[in-house]
Amino acid sequence: MDTQKPIVMMTKQVVPEGKKSFRISKEGRFIFLCLLPAILFVSVFTYYPLVRGIIMSFQNYTLFDLMNIQFIGLDNFVNVLTSPDFPRVAMNSFYWVFFSLVFQLLFGFMLALMMQKKFRGRGIYQAFLFFPWAMSGFLIGLIWRWMFNAQFGVINDLLLKTGLIDAPISFLADGTWAMAAVIIANIWYGVAFFAIMILAALQSIPEELYEAAAMDGAGRIQQFWRVTLPYIMPTILVTILLRVIWILNFPDIIYAMTNGAPAGSTHIFATYMIDKVIFGQDYGQASAVGVIIVVILMLFTIFYVKATKVEKGGDF
Amino acid sequence: MGFRSWISVALQLTMATALLVGCSQPAATPDSASPSGANGVTLKMVESITSPQRTALLKDMLAQFEAKNPGIKVDLISPPFEGADQKITQMLMAKEELDVLEVREFNAKQFSMNGFIENLKPYTDKWKNYDQLTDVAKRRATWVDKTPYYIPNGLYQRVLYYRTDWFKEAGIEVPKTWDELLVAAKKLTDPSKNRYGYSFRGGATGWDYALITMWAYNGTEVDPDSAFFMKDGRTLFSTPQSLEAMQYYKQLYKEGSPKDSVSWGFQEMVQGFVAGSTAMLIQDPDVIDGAKEKMQEGTWATAPIPLGPSGVAQQVVGGPGWGMTAYSKHKEEAWKLIAFLSDPEQSTHFAKKTSTIPVVKSAAEDEFYKTGYFQPFIEMSQQPTKFLDVSRPVDYKGWGAWQSTADKDIQSFLLDQLTAEDLLKKWDQYWTKEKAERK
Repeated sequence: MDTQKPIVMMTKQVVPEGKKSFRISKEGRFIFLCLLPAILFVSVFTYYPLVRGIIMSFQNYTLFDLMNIQFIGLDNFVNVLTSPDFPRVAMNSFYWVFFSLVFQLLFGFMLALMMQKKFRGRGIYQAFLFFPWAMSGFLIGLIWRWMFNAQFGVINDLLLKTGLIDAPISFLADGTWAMAAVIIANIWYGVAFFAIMILAALQSIPEELYEAAAMDGAGRIQQFWRVTLPYIMPTILVTILLRVIWILNFPDIIYAMTNGAPAGSTHIFATYMIDKVIFGQDYGQASAVGVIIVVILMLFTIFYVKATKVEKGGDF
Repeated sequence: MGFRSWISVALQLTMATALLVGCSQPAATPDSASPSGANGVTLKMVESITSPQRTALLKDMLAQFEAKNPGIKVDLISPPFEGADQKITQMLMAKEELDVLEVREFNAKQFSMNGFIENLKPYTDKWKNYDQLTDVAKRRATWVDKTPYYIPNGLYQRVLYYRTDWFKEAGIEVPKTWDELLVAAKKLTDPSKNRYGYSFRGGATGWDYALITMWAYNGTEVDPDSAFFMKDGRTLFSTPQSLEAMQYYKQLYKEGSPKDSVSWGFQEMVQGFVAGSTAMLIQDPDVIDGAKEKMQEGTWATAPIPLGPSGVAQQVVGGPGWGMTAYSKHKEEAWKLIAFLSDPEQSTHFAKKTSTIPVVKSAAEDEFYKTGYFQPFIEMSQQPTKFLDVSRPVDYKGWGAWQSTADKDIQSFLLDQLTAEDLLKKWDQYWTKEKAERK
């Protein structure tokens, strides 16, 4: 048949000699062996838990009755998605990612620009600035929980002493304040990462570009918009992508600061999932929340990569 | 395959093994390098309520056990307290080598239902010290299916902590009832001085405090074996007394407690008391050591928990203890260890050092418990018809799901987002359904 001809030709082109095509060259074997530990590592610690989690999301997997685990179809997803908590958890997750990201980027950019210039004690200043990034998120949450405490917290103390307030604010007793408080703590934590990434990109800009721009008559502001920003944009785009993924999957601060309180007003997907495991002992529903997070992040990543062509980035 | 290829393969395998072993080492650090006993028996033991002091104490006791039993060696696993129970559950699910484990009252049912822990009756029947256990300790040991699945190692029983200096200054007596507690809390509250009457718990597991109020209001009509229900079969949440209790509870929060205590957990409520922000605290005996350290002698004291209008007060006396895995290969040796740790002398020593209430009757005669801060605990234990020990329905399938929303519901209620009627209706419907499904 004529229709088969091109296929045969193509096959011949790709696999020229039948038997030899299944043989792996010596170099290929060496490369495979080099990759084997990494493949094993990723399979055991990444893909196995992922697949296990997906399977569990379709099971009635509760710690209470491990002897009676069965597949229950989409029940876990239906229960999670129709729960009265879900809309608030989804909105909180959006606020958590959006505000954290915007302010981390903004402050990180400002700090990177400041640190690019040489000044006395810059090294010490940089070390202090990057310090939060080296701390555990849970510890940061505990520290900020005490800082926002109405009775013993330093924030209320400062506000009272400066006369900005007359009575202590119960930050963690009010839903809106509590959500703002956890976002502030997260901004403080994540600024350093943006600052590190942007500073690295800034320092890689060739000086000649600025000289050429200056010779063409560009002022400082024009140099920023025409040279600096376009050059570091790929780094910023990749950093944003990474941060969105990390922030959405980062329950530590909220878990330690409020544990979702008051009245569930600070739960995001990740803390909601932990709540299902720790208190509900329901691994099935928790896995369903986990799968929802993965789906959201996949959709976001595909959209983001398409919209920004971020795969061309990575210049850092 | 040439020599270079063999070298290459060997290197890859070494790397892979190193990576896997390095990344899968247990969170805990059993002393696995040490040799087994003379008979080759090494028991693996895991504790749950870990702290550096408690672990050191246990290791000391285990050394004594090993000295008395030269054929047995014990490897102690001490996971970090946060997540220790999850770690133990995972070990049991994976049937990891384990002989003795610390069981908590809230996971005993789960462990026994899944066949993880051994029924200790054949051992306790022959054990002379079983009758030395106090009634509360025996109830904790046997509360799952009336079967001894573990031997408690210390009791967590609540008392009222109060500031004697503030009370003296205000000229008021120590409250004996919940009503008197509210009056005292209101009198001692002065936000301008950052002083509040009561260390309220609205944060994690704050629902337990709402429940002790409801129980005290409902009195002896509450079913002590499953205290979310009344003796007549209704739920606890369906009675007018519970509605009254919840209204009282909100009043205590609004008029006698710091506003942000709606999200206070254990740390904050204790800190509120020891740092001089609150005058009263209801907590376990493990607060005593911290208060001794941070507060001046004579400025604080302990008293029995307040009684309800019914004249009684209930609480769930926490009682973790030592159990044995059902799949242990060294059951006789494991029981030997449990019996050693639960011996009246060892058990009292352990309770004293861990600041818990002892599980053996003889400890009531000990000066350490007869006087001072521990005295009210003993006083309460000696009045079992006034201070009742009750059990939560942790053996119901819906227990976990209820727990995950209970704190949120109470906080919504305290923040005026949910009425007492709606809260109780929601819980009443939930537990009525749970009970019906169980039949």
